Amino acid sequence: MRIQILALLFGTFLVAWTSTAGAGDLVVICNPSVSLKADEVRDVYFGDKGFAGTVKLLPADNSAAQDAFLEKVMKLDAKKYAGVWIKKAFRDGSAPPPVKASDAEAIAYVKQTPGACSYITSAPSDGVVVVAKF
Amino acid sequence: MLNKLLIPARAIALGVVLSTASLPAAADSVSDAKLDELQKKLDQSMKMIEALAARVKELEAHTSTATVAAAPAPDPQRLQAVEQKVAQIETANATRQSDDSGLPIHGFADVNTGNYNLYFPYFKGTNVGSLDLYLTPKIGDSVVTLAELIFETGPDGTVGTDLERFQIGYQFNDQATVWVGRFHTPYGYVNTALHHGVWLADALRRPKFANFEDKGGVMPAHTTGVWVTGALREDNGKFLYDFYTGNGQRIMGGIVDMQNGGNEHGAAMFGSRLSYQFIGGAADGLLVGVNGFTDKVNDDNPVTPALIRLNMVGAYAVYDTDTWEHIIEAYSFRDKNLNGAPGTLQSEMWFAQFAYRARWGVPYIRYERANLDQADPYFNEQTFGASYYRSALGVRFDINAKSSIKFEVAHTRNTDDRPATDYRPSDAEIGLPQQFNEILAQYAVRF
Repeated sequence: MRIQILALLFGTFLVAWTSTAGAGDLVVICNPSVSLKADEVRDVYFGDKGFAGTVKLLPADNSAAQDAFLEKVMKLDAKKYAGVWIKKAFRDGSAPPPVKASDAEAIAYVKQTPGACSYITSAPSDGVVVVAKF
Repeated sequence: MLNKLLIPARAIALGVVLSTASLPAAADSVSDAKLDELQKKLDQSMKMIEALAARVKELEAHTSTATVAAAPAPDPQRLQAVEQKVAQIETANATRQSDDSGLPIHGFADVNTGNYNLYFPYFKGTNVGSLDLYLTPKIGDSVVTLAELIFETGPDGTVGTDLERFQIGYQFNDQATVWVGRFHTPYGYVNTALHHGVWLADALRRPKFANFEDKGGVMPAHTTGVWVTGALREDNGKFLYDFYTGNGQRIMGGIVDMQNGGNEHGAAMFGSRLSYQFIGGAADGLLVGVNGFTDKVNDDNPVTPALIRLNMVGAYAVYDTDTWEHIIEAYSFRDKNLNGAPGTLQSEMWFAQFAYRARWGVPYIRYERANLDQADPYFNEQTFGASYYRSALGVRFDINAKSSIKFEVAHTRNTDDRPATDYRPSDAEIGLPQQFNEILAQYAVRF
């Protein structure tokens, strides 16, 4: 019985340790048609950069990873991020990025949409290019 | 089934045990033959128990196998179909664009109260402010559109409708977007960044001279024409430019009109704004720029019609961060009345506003000054064209992410004595006080 408890505790520790190790990864992905530098991601999501070469950029937010993205990349909270886009939409007619509900949706959107970019917390799949990891 | 078999087996075993237990009591009265017979029976019983136990094990094993076999086996085809369905739903969600989910309407609204109307000081009390609706229909990746419709109280106190902006553009790249239509004239910072939609601004109202044409402003805040704008990104910031041309304005009924349908004399307005926005580093949040325009403005004066050449140059600086919002704008006019005496008519106007974005609210202070040459028909014929200065102190409180309450106390003094002319009545006849102190409150929302 004692051995079983010890084994259970050890297993729980292992699961927790491996989960923590993967939780810090935030990956910005784009459609293969997009050539983008890591330091340009912030401009894209502020609406200051709308093109990569001749390709019109179509960034999308991912609600499953948005908090981490705003904290690590945009350096602001959700309220201020929304405020930036409210002002921008009113001033120059720009539309804020559409919001995807999950990593799977974000990946599917990026894969199928030329010019699309988004961010995920899971491993990226084939059909997208990794622009940056945070 | 299994229990049914076990119950008799246990009963037999119990009987055997009980029988065995009774043997010592009977030992003296039975013969050895009977003992042997009993022993045999006991052996048979034990064998029967062992056989039954084996049978029970066999049945148990059979039952387990049968249970497992009874569970439906996973159907690979069905599983694949479900996976495909999930993938299709995800893909549909992922590729769904905002343009196929209807046209969202956004807007701003405000109501105001105070001892004076915040725009028309000949009115006092509460006013409905404005209901501002704007639409950004998505026509395509590079085609951009913006329409802004506003319902607001005008100088006569009635609610009117105004197509505030209507512009259709094409975005070539980050360096060039061309707009055609009616737009906010790109000068300074406030006119394009903090136009209608008072919720956007920390201050309760715009500087008086920089207000809208029908709200006491003396600048041509709107232009109907063509506007080219863009940005060039650098390591430490970006260079912004605006070039525009449009219909020369006209003063109608004491208010500058942007001539949406074209003007009578056919002359055009030309202007530009060049700015630099610092990004990152110690100057992050700083925006500086210069601007200017030249314009040919006529009026609707039937007695002595004027045709004025406006020449304006200006500069501005904005420091906009999470903590501060400071704005300074200055303009200088060198005008000529083309139908009047030769010479240059000189006017200046400027304002400075400093705001601190605290957790609890945004206090701000502002000073504004307009020194307008009353020999210049462009200013003299405007209802609100008098020189003035105003000092104001205010605060903004955010109730939530979409609503705010602002308060402002201000002192305004008109520094021109404006008697009646052949074009307009005197300021006193209009009801404009020469100087007045205001206590204002505003409730502003966005949606």
